[in-house]
This record gives sequence, structure tokens and C-alpha cells, in this order.
Amino acid sequence: MRLNSYSRREPNLSNSHKFFFLLLACALPLALLAALASGPVKLDLWQAITSGWHSDNSDAVILWQLRLPRAALALLVGAALGMGGAAMQGMLRNPLAEPALLGVSSGAALAAILLLYYGAVSGEVALPLLAILGALLAVGSVWLLAGRGASATRLVLAGVAINAFLSALMALALNYAPSMFAMQEIVFWLLGSLANRGWDQVLLALPFMLVGAVMLVLSRNYLRALSLGESTAASLGFSGRRYPLLVLFGIAFAVGSSVAVAGTIGFIGLVVPHLMRPLVGQDPGRLLWASALAGALLLLLADILVLNTVGVQELRIGAVTAFIGAPFFFWLIVSGRREMSL
Amino acid sequence: MIAVGRGYAGRPPAARWIAALLFAIALPAPAAERIASLNLCLDQILLRWVPPQRIVSVTWLSAEAQYRNAPIPEHVALNRAQAEELIPLQPDLVLAGQFGAQRAAARLEEMGFRVVRIPDAYTLEQLQTQLGALEQALGPLPPLRARQQQLAELLAPARQKNPQAADVKHPTALILSANNITYGSGMLEHQLLTRAGFINLAAEQGIDQLGRVSLEQVIALQPDLLVFYGGAQDFAIAHLAERHPVLKRYIDSGRSYRLPEALGYCPALAAVDALEQLQQKRAELVQQP
Repeated sequence: MRLNSYSRREPNLSNSHKFFFLLLACALPLALLAALASGPVKLDLWQAITSGWHSDNSDAVILWQLRLPRAALALLVGAALGMGGAAMQGMLRNPLAEPALLGVSSGAALAAILLLYYGAVSGEVALPLLAILGALLAVGSVWLLAGRGASATRLVLAGVAINAFLSALMALALNYAPSMFAMQEIVFWLLGSLANRGWDQVLLALPFMLVGAVMLVLSRNYLRALSLGESTAASLGFSGRRYPLLVLFGIAFAVGSSVAVAGTIGFIGLVVPHLMRPLVGQDPGRLLWASALAGALLLLLADILVLNTVGVQELRIGAVTAFIGAPFFFWLIVSGRREMSL
Repeated sequence: MIAVGRGYAGRPPAARWIAALLFAIALPAPAAERIASLNLCLDQILLRWVPPQRIVSVTWLSAEAQYRNAPIPEHVALNRAQAEELIPLQPDLVLAGQFGAQRAAARLEEMGFRVVRIPDAYTLEQLQTQLGALEQALGPLPPLRARQQQLAELLAPARQKNPQAADVKHPTALILSANNITYGSGMLEHQLLTRAGFINLAAEQGIDQLGRVSLEQVIALQPDLLVFYGGAQDFAIAHLAERHPVLKRYIDSGRSYRLPEALGYCPALAAVDALEQLQQKRAELVQQP
């Protein structure tokens, strides 16, 4: 009852905002087509699509078994990171909060590294589960260290400290890992990659991402109330630990399972909520799904760039997102300074 | 497909051939009784073919589980390619590779120890030269001689002109190694494939050393035999491509082969066996309808 009466006050989208969303929704299938058409082998795309899933034709195999799962993973991971970033910024009420920047992704990556390279536990499901646990511990540590509603400086300080510590542990773990390629693979875990991924990775991560998304969607009214301040949120009935924990678990599930299959891809969670916020009328609840949509699109576009870049080494997708994200970060700092001087 | 740099596997300079010639005409030295090695491959050769009482030291790498075939004899000291580790052992022969541990080798030489640099092998011809250099340094060894003969026999038929060569079926093969690396026409691995009767698709694409091949290209090129390289027992993102479900039909239908990891760091020990297995694999593939 309380929730319904609250959600009735949701701001309505203006027509121009609706148009933007329509544009975004149309851009996704177009980007998907572009992703399916990108790759080192020239395909007859239409014939490959019509040949069907089970066809032995090499074009069809490339499309259905290689390109489609990779694009699907880019969409899912982008959506999870976008949504995770929006939730994190909403809960910490801080525009600088981002899963990769604040060590959540490193926590997940460290857990995945320990399992994959040292493998005390076997079984495929253990990988996303452990990565989620790592992400949870990291996000919990940042939250505890900085405190709720902490200033941007304190939060970023706590996040950077935890991120640096976890990254050092990742390097240490890979340094002593019993694999010839372990040191080289630090690059993967720090910058992420979608290369050589198949349906097995998509199916491994998907259920956990969905669980995370459901948790975050369930906490949308808490995030809305929290935007009015903690005491207002408490007076609206969102007191206790239940809701913050729901958000923390939601972020950990979404980001942890993404990192387990694609490594640490930064900046999506930072940039996307900022881009979407004006479009959703500053509504943190609506920002969740808008960020998911835009995150999916942004990561897919970044992957199209990776696929069309010719080079000896694969261009790392985390490097592409950093190229988009870092200038945005500069802009954020400069605009913040300008506001302070006013 | 994109060709990448030559890597460390460059072609030999002319000096190496001259050195090999000098080896051939030099008088054999008296058989060494206290042999030390500064090179992983030479360690493996010593441990496998030389009586253990003649070995005084091998590198620490040889004691690692990844490279160890049998326990290292207790009296054999493990070295980290430092000259000071070998001096107290008073070896009468120190074997070094062509590139690694050069500083230690030079220091030992200055101190009057007999140091022999064994050339690396990146082709079958260089492999024969390497075995010849080893025999020259170590004196006659029956297993070494046997390996030389095996190699010569395996190389011989390819040199003879086969009048029915046009009728012989040549299935295609493609190597998919860690990090999507493939091997082109200038590599030992290519020679093994072609001597076994395969057409190496990477070489057909114009790759002459190491190249990169994506999974999409593997599917599009449709090799008859997909060749993996080295052990994938330890987890690495580098091995992700070969674990992709799209390659399952190659593995399930027996159209895959795995080159031994030792071929990469010590072809003297692995090349002959790998060639025989590839020939067998070709015979199986040709029989298939």
C-alpha cells in the first residue's frame, strides 16, 4: 500500500525523453545486427540466419555459435554493469560510485582467479557464486569503510584503497599461479575480454545476472526514497538493514557474474547512469532499467569497435570503455569544480 | 589472418652453419664424466640419454612438475644458471643453449671450464645439426645415435621423388595453440605437418612464422585435422579458444590431435614421436569416407 502510493508520484517522462528512449530501443537491434556482421570472416548474414541454428554450414556455425553468444554476452554484461552502477550511485548517493572503480569488480575477479587457477573447488556453478561472494565482500568493505552517505572524497578514497589492495592480490595470485600464461592474463582480468566466449559462458552467468536484476528492481522504491535523504527514507518505512542488503546483493550478483565470465570492464557503470539521469527525470528507480538498456548498447558498440580493429593483438574491451569513460570522468571533475566555485 | 613477428624463433645466421661445420671437422673430445647443463632442453636430453653418474647439475626448471619425467637423481645439483653454483661442482663439460645463460657461460669459459654451446633447433634440418653437435660434445651415446637414425629415416622418404605424389590424398590441418596462435611455413611444426602428409592451412594463408587465427577462421577454413598444442591441464584464459563448444565436433569425431608441449621447448625429444603420430592420424583420416 505504502509502496503503491509512493510509486504513484513517479515523475512522468516528457515527450522528448520518450523519443530518446524509443531511439535507444531502436538502436539496440541495429547494433546487434552490426555486431553479427563484424568479424574476421566475411559472412552471408542473411543466408546464415535462414540456415538455422542446427545447420552445419560454416557461415551458420560462425553466426549462431560464435557471434551471437558473444553479442549476447556483451548485451548482458553491459546491462548488468549499467544497472549495478546506477544502483551503486543511488545507494551511496554519490555520482562517483562505480563497480570497477570502487573495487567490486576486483573483488569478483580475485575470487574467480583463486578458483580458476588454484581450483580447490570444482564445478562450473562455483565460479559465478564465488565471484559474487568476492564482489559482495568488496562492496561491503567499501560501504563499511566509507559509511553510508559518505562524502565523495571519503568514498573514492575507500574505494581506491580497496581496489588497489585487491588488484595487488590479483597480481600476486597470478604471479604464483601454476600456468605458463598466468602473468599475461593479468591484462585480461584487469581489462576484460569477450573473445572466444560461447553459449556456455552466457548460460553460466545469465541466471545470476537475472537474480541480481530482480533484486535491484525490487529495491527501486528504496533508492527513490533514499534520494530524499536517509531520515526521509526511514520515515517512509525503508528503515533497517533489509533494503541496503538487497541492493548490495543485487550489485554483487549482477557485477560478480559479469566479471566471472568477461573480466573487469570499467567505466560502463560510471558513465551510463550519468548519461541516463537527465532522461529519466532524476528518478533513481527508472534509472535502473534505463542504465541497463544504455549499458547493454554501449558495451555492444565498444565490442563492435574491438571486432573491427585490425591489430596483431586483440584490442581489450576494457581499454575501449576506458577511452570513453576517462574523458567523461574528467568532465565530471571539471563540472564539479565549477559548481563549487559558484 | 594476421602474421605476427618472428618471435624468438628466427632463422639461423650463417655463423651457425659455419659453427656446425667446425664441429663436424673437429676431433671428438674425450667423453666428459662430470656434465652440467644451463638449459632446460639440454637438461632433459642429459637426464634421458646420459648415464646419471655422468651428470653433476641441471637447471631448477627440470625439477618442476611441469617438466619432470622422472625423479632427479639425488647427487645432481639444481642450478639457476649462475656461474658460482657450478664452480664447486668442477664440471668437465658445461652445456649451454644458444641464447639463455650467456653471462654464466662466458664467466665459466673465462675461468677455464669447457663450455659448449648447442645450437637451438627450429627446423628438422637444424634438429639434425643439434643432435650432431650434442654427439660431438658428449661422445658416442647409443640413444642419441638411435634418435639421429630415426630422424634421418623419417626425413628420407620426403626427399625421394614419389611418382604417384599427385594421387596421394593430402588432408588439411591447422594448428590452434594458446592465445589463438598458429604456425606458418617457416616453423618446425609446419614441417612435421607437411612431412606427415598434411597441407598446413596457415602456410596456405601466407603465414611464414607465427600467426593469429580466430575461432571464426578455424570454422571457415574447415581443416580436416585440428591440431592443439601443449597441455591444457592448468587453467588459462589463453586456452579458452580450444575449450569452446564450437570445436566439440572436431574432438568428438577424432579429427583433432595434440602436439606435445615438449616440442615447443625441446624438439629433439618430441619431434620424432609427434611425426609418427601425425602420420598415423593422416592414415586414419584418409581411410575415413
